[in-house]
Amino acid sequence: MHELSIVEALIEQVETEVDRAGARGPVARLKLSIGRLSGVNADAVRFAFQLLAPSTRLAGAALEIDEPKAVCVCAACGARTEIEELVLSCPACQAGKITIDGGREMLLETIDVDEFDR
Amino acid sequence: MKIVAAQKILKANDQLAEENRRRFSAAGVFGVNIVGSPGCGKTTLLEALIGRFGDALAPAVIEGDIAGSIDAERIDALGVPVVQINTDGACHLDAQMVNAAAGSLELGQLGLLLIENVGNLVCPAGFDLGEHRRIVLLSVPEGDDKIAKYPAIFRGSHALAITKIDLLPHFDFSVDRVVADMRRLAPAARVFQLSAKTGGGVAEIGDWLQAEAAAR
Repeated sequence: MHELSIVEALIEQVETEVDRAGARGPVARLKLSIGRLSGVNADAVRFAFQLLAPSTRLAGAALEIDEPKAVCVCAACGARTEIEELVLSCPACQAGKITIDGGREMLLETIDVDEFDR
Repeated sequence: MKIVAAQKILKANDQLAEENRRRFSAAGVFGVNIVGSPGCGKTTLLEALIGRFGDALAPAVIEGDIAGSIDAERIDALGVPVVQINTDGACHLDAQMVNAAAGSLELGQLGLLLIENVGNLVCPAGFDLGEHRRIVLLSVPEGDDKIAKYPAIFRGSHALAITKIDLLPHFDFSVDRVVADMRRLAPAARVFQLSAKTGGGVAEIGDWLQAEAAAR
Protein backbone atom coordinates (compact mmCIF):
# COMPACT_ATOMS: atom_id res chain seq x y z
CA MET A 1 0.00 0.00 0.00
CA HIS A 2 2.65 2.52 -1.03
CA GLU A 3 -0.19 4.70 -2.34
CA LEU A 4 -0.60 5.97 1.23
CA SER A 5 2.90 7.41 1.39
CA ILE A 6 2.60 8.66 -2.19
CA VAL A 7 -0.57 10.58 -1.31
CA GLU A 8 1.09 11.90 1.84
CA ALA A 9 3.90 13.29 -0.32
CA LEU A 10 1.37 14.56 -2.87
CA ILE A 11 -0.53 16.55 -0.25
CA GLU A 12 2.70 18.19 0.95
CA GLN A 13 3.64 18.93 -2.65
CA VAL A 14 0.26 20.57 -3.32
CA GLU A 15 0.49 22.67 -0.16
CA THR A 16 3.94 23.86 -1.22
CA GLU A 17 2.71 24.81 -4.70
CA VAL A 18 -0.36 26.60 -3.34
CA ASP A 19 1.79 28.59 -0.90
CA ARG A 20 4.24 29.44 -3.65
CA ALA A 21 1.42 30.72 -5.85
CA GLY A 22 0.24 32.89 -2.95
CA ALA A 23 -3.26 31.39 -3.06
CA ARG A 24 -5.21 31.67 0.17
CA GLY A 25 -8.43 29.71 -0.29
CA PRO A 26 -9.00 25.97 0.07
CA VAL A 27 -8.04 23.59 -2.72
CA ALA A 28 -11.11 22.81 -4.83
CA ARG A 29 -9.76 20.38 -7.42
CA LEU A 30 -6.65 18.39 -8.21
CA LYS A 31 -5.78 16.86 -11.54
CA LEU A 32 -3.33 13.97 -11.64
CA SER A 33 -2.02 11.77 -14.38
CA ILE A 34 -1.13 8.24 -13.28
CA GLY A 35 0.01 5.97 -16.09
CA ARG A 36 -1.20 2.38 -16.24
CA LEU A 37 2.36 1.10 -15.91
CA SER A 38 3.40 3.40 -13.07
CA GLY A 39 2.91 0.65 -10.50
CA VAL A 40 0.47 2.91 -8.67
CA ASN A 41 -3.20 2.04 -8.48
CA ALA A 42 -5.51 5.02 -9.06
CA ASP A 43 -8.29 3.57 -6.90
CA ALA A 44 -5.88 3.12 -4.02
CA VAL A 45 -4.78 6.74 -4.50
CA ARG A 46 -8.43 7.88 -4.29
CA PHE A 47 -8.92 5.82 -1.15
CA ALA A 48 -5.74 7.17 0.48
CA PHE A 49 -6.77 10.72 -0.47
CA GLN A 50 -10.10 10.26 1.31
CA LEU A 51 -8.23 9.18 4.41
CA LEU A 52 -5.55 11.85 4.42
CA ALA A 53 -7.07 15.00 2.90
CA PRO A 54 -9.65 15.91 5.58
CA SER A 55 -7.10 17.26 8.07
CA THR A 56 -5.39 19.45 5.44
CA ARG A 57 -6.26 22.41 3.25
CA LEU A 58 -7.13 19.86 0.56
CA ALA A 59 -10.17 18.81 2.59
CA GLY A 60 -13.16 18.42 0.29
CA ALA A 61 -11.11 18.83 -2.88
CA ALA A 62 -12.24 16.88 -5.94
CA LEU A 63 -9.63 14.42 -7.21
CA GLU A 64 -9.49 13.86 -10.95
CA ILE A 65 -7.14 11.14 -12.18
CA ASP A 66 -6.27 10.59 -15.80
CA GLU A 67 -4.87 7.10 -16.46
CA PRO A 68 -2.99 7.14 -19.76
CA LYS A 69 -2.32 3.81 -21.44
CA ALA A 70 1.04 2.71 -22.78
CA VAL A 71 1.87 1.62 -26.32
CA CYS A 72 3.63 -1.63 -27.17
CA VAL A 73 5.69 -1.26 -30.35
CA CYS A 74 6.67 -4.54 -31.99
CA ALA A 75 9.95 -4.76 -33.92
CA ALA A 76 8.80 -7.95 -35.65
CA CYS A 77 5.35 -7.10 -37.05
CA GLY A 78 5.35 -3.33 -36.56
CA ALA A 79 2.08 -3.33 -34.61
CA ARG A 80 1.46 -0.48 -32.20
CA THR A 81 -0.92 -1.80 -29.55
CA GLU A 82 -2.39 0.21 -26.69
CA ILE A 83 -1.89 -1.69 -23.46
CA GLU A 84 -3.32 -1.26 -19.96
CA GLU A 85 -0.80 -3.51 -18.29
CA LEU A 86 2.77 -4.51 -18.99
CA VAL A 87 3.18 -7.25 -21.58
CA LEU A 88 6.22 -9.40 -22.29
CA SER A 89 5.37 -10.08 -25.93
CA CYS A 90 3.53 -8.33 -28.77
CA PRO A 91 -0.25 -8.77 -28.28
CA ALA A 92 -0.62 -8.98 -32.09
CA CYS A 93 2.04 -11.52 -33.09
CA GLN A 94 3.45 -12.77 -29.73
CA ALA A 95 7.02 -11.83 -30.72
CA GLY A 96 9.28 -10.85 -27.85
CA LYS A 97 11.14 -7.99 -29.48
CA ILE A 98 9.06 -5.10 -28.21
CA THR A 99 9.50 -1.66 -26.74
CA ILE A 100 6.98 -0.05 -24.42
CA ASP A 101 6.28 3.67 -24.73
CA GLY A 102 4.71 5.78 -22.01
CA GLY A 103 2.31 4.78 -19.27
CA ARG A 104 4.84 5.27 -16.48
CA GLU A 105 4.11 8.91 -15.71
CA MET A 106 2.94 9.99 -12.29
CA LEU A 107 2.19 13.71 -12.52
CA LEU A 108 0.55 16.44 -10.55
CA GLU A 109 -1.00 18.39 -13.44
CA THR A 110 -3.13 21.23 -12.08
CA ILE A 111 -4.47 22.57 -8.80
CA ASP A 112 -7.64 24.68 -8.61
CA VAL A 113 -7.86 26.90 -5.54
CA ASP A 114 -11.08 28.65 -4.50
CA GLU A 115 -10.79 32.44 -4.22
CA PHE A 116 -12.86 32.55 -1.06
CA ASP A 117 -13.51 30.24 1.83
CA ARG A 118 -16.24 27.82 0.94
CA MET B 1 -7.12 30.29 -9.23
CA LYS B 2 -5.66 27.50 -11.36
CA ILE B 3 -2.09 26.45 -10.65
CA VAL B 4 -0.39 24.51 -13.42
CA ALA B 5 2.10 22.37 -11.56
CA ALA B 6 2.98 19.81 -14.27
CA GLN B 7 5.50 18.12 -12.01
CA LYS B 8 6.23 14.60 -10.93
CA ILE B 9 4.44 13.23 -7.92
CA LEU B 10 7.19 12.16 -5.53
CA LYS B 11 9.28 15.08 -6.79
CA ALA B 12 10.48 15.62 -3.22
CA ASN B 13 11.65 11.99 -2.99
CA ASP B 14 13.33 12.16 -6.40
CA GLN B 15 15.18 15.36 -5.50
CA LEU B 16 16.40 13.95 -2.21
CA ALA B 17 17.44 10.74 -3.99
CA GLU B 18 19.52 12.83 -6.42
CA GLU B 19 21.12 14.57 -3.45
CA ASN B 20 21.91 11.20 -1.86
CA ARG B 21 23.47 10.00 -5.12
CA ARG B 22 25.64 13.12 -5.41
CA ARG B 23 26.71 12.75 -1.79
CA PHE B 24 27.63 9.08 -2.26
CA SER B 25 29.49 9.79 -5.49
CA ALA B 26 31.41 12.69 -3.94
CA ALA B 27 32.53 10.42 -1.10
CA GLY B 28 33.52 7.65 -3.56
CA VAL B 29 30.78 5.36 -2.31
CA PHE B 30 28.88 3.06 -4.67
CA GLY B 31 25.27 2.69 -3.56
CA VAL B 32 23.30 -0.49 -4.21
CA ASN B 33 19.60 -0.96 -3.48
CA ILE B 34 18.75 -4.61 -2.84
CA VAL B 35 15.10 -5.55 -3.31
CA GLY B 36 13.08 -8.76 -3.25
CA SER B 37 10.38 -10.65 -1.36
CA PRO B 38 10.63 -11.49 2.34
CA GLY B 39 12.80 -14.58 2.64
CA CYS B 40 14.32 -14.43 -0.84
CA GLY B 41 17.84 -14.21 0.60
CA LYS B 42 18.74 -10.52 0.68
CA THR B 43 20.54 -10.61 4.02
CA THR B 44 22.18 -13.92 3.12
CA LEU B 45 23.53 -12.35 -0.08
CA LEU B 46 24.92 -9.43 1.94
CA GLU B 47 26.62 -11.83 4.32
CA ALA B 48 28.15 -13.76 1.44
CA LEU B 49 29.35 -10.59 -0.32
CA ILE B 50 30.84 -9.21 2.87
CA GLY B 51 32.49 -12.53 3.63
CA ARG B 52 34.13 -12.71 0.24
CA PHE B 53 34.68 -9.08 -0.75
CA GLY B 54 34.61 -7.32 2.63
CA ASP B 55 38.26 -6.25 2.50
CA ALA B 56 38.25 -5.17 -1.13
CA LEU B 57 35.00 -3.23 -1.13
CA ALA B 58 34.95 -1.49 2.29
CA PRO B 59 31.21 -2.03 2.64
CA ALA B 60 28.59 -0.68 5.00
CA VAL B 61 24.97 -1.74 5.22
CA ILE B 62 21.68 0.05 5.71
CA GLU B 63 19.03 -2.43 6.82
CA GLY B 64 15.42 -1.57 6.10
CA ASP B 65 12.82 -3.51 8.05
CA ILE B 66 9.31 -2.88 9.25
CA ALA B 67 10.34 -3.82 12.78
CA GLY B 68 13.23 -5.26 14.75
CA SER B 69 16.96 -5.48 14.21
CA ILE B 70 17.48 -9.17 13.46
CA ASP B 71 19.13 -8.48 10.09
CA ALA B 72 21.29 -5.65 11.44
CA GLU B 73 22.58 -7.98 14.15
CA ARG B 74 23.57 -10.53 11.50
CA ILE B 75 25.57 -7.85 9.66
CA ASP B 76 27.01 -6.41 12.87
CA ALA B 77 28.39 -9.85 13.70
CA LEU B 78 30.57 -9.56 10.58
CA GLY B 79 32.20 -6.39 11.87
CA VAL B 80 30.80 -4.16 9.14
CA PRO B 81 29.19 -0.75 9.88
CA VAL B 82 25.42 -1.17 9.83
CA VAL B 83 22.48 1.17 10.39
CA GLN B 84 19.01 -0.19 11.03
CA ILE B 85 15.99 1.70 9.69
CA ASN B 86 12.62 0.68 11.11
CA THR B 87 9.88 1.89 8.84
CA ASP B 88 7.14 1.45 11.46
CA GLY B 89 4.84 -0.32 9.06
CA ALA B 90 5.82 1.42 5.82
CA CYS B 91 6.31 -1.13 3.06
CA HIS B 92 9.42 0.41 1.46
CA LEU B 93 12.39 2.65 2.14
CA ASP B 94 12.42 6.20 0.78
CA ALA B 95 15.16 8.71 0.06
CA GLN B 96 14.55 10.58 3.30
CA MET B 97 15.12 7.47 5.43
CA VAL B 98 18.32 6.64 3.55
CA ASN B 99 19.50 10.24 3.83
CA ALA B 100 19.08 10.13 7.62
CA ALA B 101 20.71 6.70 7.94
CA ALA B 102 23.69 7.68 5.77
CA GLY B 103 24.27 10.60 8.12
CA SER B 104 25.43 8.21 10.82
CA LEU B 105 27.99 6.49 8.56
CA GLU B 106 31.55 7.63 7.84
CA LEU B 107 31.00 7.77 4.08
CA GLY B 108 34.58 8.86 3.41
CA GLN B 109 35.88 5.54 4.70
CA LEU B 110 33.52 3.41 2.64
CA GLY B 111 33.59 2.03 -0.88
CA LEU B 112 30.23 0.30 -1.07
CA LEU B 113 26.91 1.05 0.56
CA LEU B 114 24.52 -1.90 0.47
CA ILE B 115 20.95 -0.84 1.19
CA GLU B 116 18.64 -3.74 1.98
CA ASN B 117 15.10 -2.64 1.24
CA VAL B 118 11.97 -3.86 2.99
CA GLY B 119 11.00 -7.32 1.70
CA ASN B 120 8.40 -6.51 -0.94
CA LEU B 121 8.16 -6.92 -4.73
CA VAL B 122 5.73 -4.04 -5.22
CA CYS B 123 6.22 -0.85 -3.27
CA PRO B 124 10.01 -0.29 -3.39
CA ALA B 125 9.74 -0.01 -7.20
CA GLY B 126 8.46 3.56 -7.02
CA PHE B 127 11.06 4.99 -4.66
CA ASP B 128 14.51 6.02 -5.84
CA LEU B 129 16.82 5.97 -2.83
CA GLY B 130 19.80 7.58 -4.53
CA GLU B 131 21.48 4.28 -5.32
CA HIS B 132 23.75 3.74 -8.33
CA ARG B 133 22.49 0.22 -9.03
CA ARG B 134 19.47 -1.83 -8.05
CA ILE B 135 19.66 -5.61 -7.67
CA VAL B 136 16.44 -7.58 -7.53
CA LEU B 137 16.41 -11.08 -6.03
CA LEU B 138 14.05 -13.89 -6.98
CA SER B 139 14.32 -17.21 -5.16
CA VAL B 140 13.47 -20.50 -6.83
CA PRO B 141 10.63 -21.37 -4.37
CA GLU B 142 8.79 -18.14 -5.28
CA GLY B 143 8.14 -19.44 -8.77
CA ASP B 144 9.24 -18.54 -12.29
CA ASP B 145 6.15 -16.42 -13.03
CA LYS B 146 7.08 -13.55 -10.74
CA ILE B 147 8.66 -11.30 -13.36
CA ALA B 148 5.46 -11.40 -15.38
CA LYS B 149 3.38 -10.78 -12.25
CA TYR B 150 5.46 -7.98 -10.68
CA PRO B 151 7.05 -6.36 -13.73
CA ALA B 152 7.66 -2.87 -12.34
CA ILE B 153 10.37 -3.85 -9.87
CA PHE B 154 12.20 -6.02 -12.39
CA ARG B 155 11.96 -3.44 -15.15
CA GLY B 156 13.91 -0.85 -13.19
CA SER B 157 16.64 -3.18 -11.91
CA HIS B 158 20.23 -3.45 -13.19
CA ALA B 159 20.74 -7.04 -12.14
CA LEU B 160 18.64 -10.06 -11.28
CA ALA B 161 19.92 -12.63 -8.81
CA ILE B 162 18.09 -15.96 -8.92
CA THR B 163 18.70 -17.31 -5.42
CA LYS B 164 18.39 -20.78 -3.83
CA ILE B 165 19.35 -22.20 -7.22
CA ASP B 166 20.33 -25.47 -5.47
CA LEU B 167 16.58 -26.07 -4.98
CA LEU B 168 15.94 -26.33 -8.74
CA PRO B 169 15.54 -30.14 -8.64
CA HIS B 170 12.61 -29.76 -6.24
CA PHE B 171 10.61 -27.11 -8.10
CA ASP B 172 9.09 -26.67 -11.52
CA PHE B 173 11.10 -23.51 -12.05
CA SER B 174 12.32 -22.61 -15.51
CA VAL B 175 15.48 -20.52 -15.41
CA ASP B 176 15.09 -20.04 -19.17
CA ARG B 177 11.68 -18.48 -18.70
CA VAL B 178 12.96 -16.12 -16.00
CA VAL B 179 15.96 -15.09 -18.11
CA ALA B 180 13.74 -14.55 -21.16
CA ASP B 181 11.21 -12.47 -19.19
CA MET B 182 14.00 -10.36 -17.69
CA ARG B 183 15.56 -9.80 -21.14
CA ARG B 184 12.28 -8.38 -22.37
CA LEU B 185 11.79 -6.02 -19.45
CA ALA B 186 15.38 -5.02 -18.83
CA PRO B 187 17.57 -6.01 -21.80
CA ALA B 188 20.76 -4.61 -20.28
CA ALA B 189 20.37 -6.27 -16.88
CA ARG B 190 22.79 -8.97 -15.78
CA VAL B 191 21.39 -12.25 -14.48
CA PHE B 192 23.19 -14.23 -11.77
CA GLN B 193 22.41 -17.65 -10.31
CA LEU B 194 23.19 -17.91 -6.62
CA SER B 195 23.28 -20.59 -3.98
CA ALA B 196 24.01 -19.80 -0.36
CA LYS B 197 24.43 -23.54 0.20
CA THR B 198 27.30 -23.94 -2.25
CA GLY B 199 28.44 -20.31 -2.44
CA GLY B 200 27.90 -20.48 -6.21
CA GLY B 201 27.45 -17.17 -8.01
CA VAL B 202 28.75 -14.97 -5.20
CA ALA B 203 32.08 -14.41 -6.94
CA GLU B 204 30.32 -13.41 -10.17
CA ILE B 205 27.99 -10.89 -8.59
CA GLY B 206 30.81 -9.49 -6.46
CA ASP B 207 33.06 -9.11 -9.52
CA TRP B 208 30.24 -7.36 -11.35
CA LEU B 209 29.69 -4.96 -8.45
CA GLN B 210 33.40 -4.19 -8.29
CA ALA B 211 33.53 -3.53 -12.02
CA GLU B 212 30.42 -1.33 -11.92
CA ALA B 213 31.80 0.62 -8.97
CA ALA B 214 35.19 1.03 -10.65
CA ALA B 215 33.58 2.28 -13.87
CA ARG B 216 32.13 5.28 -12.07
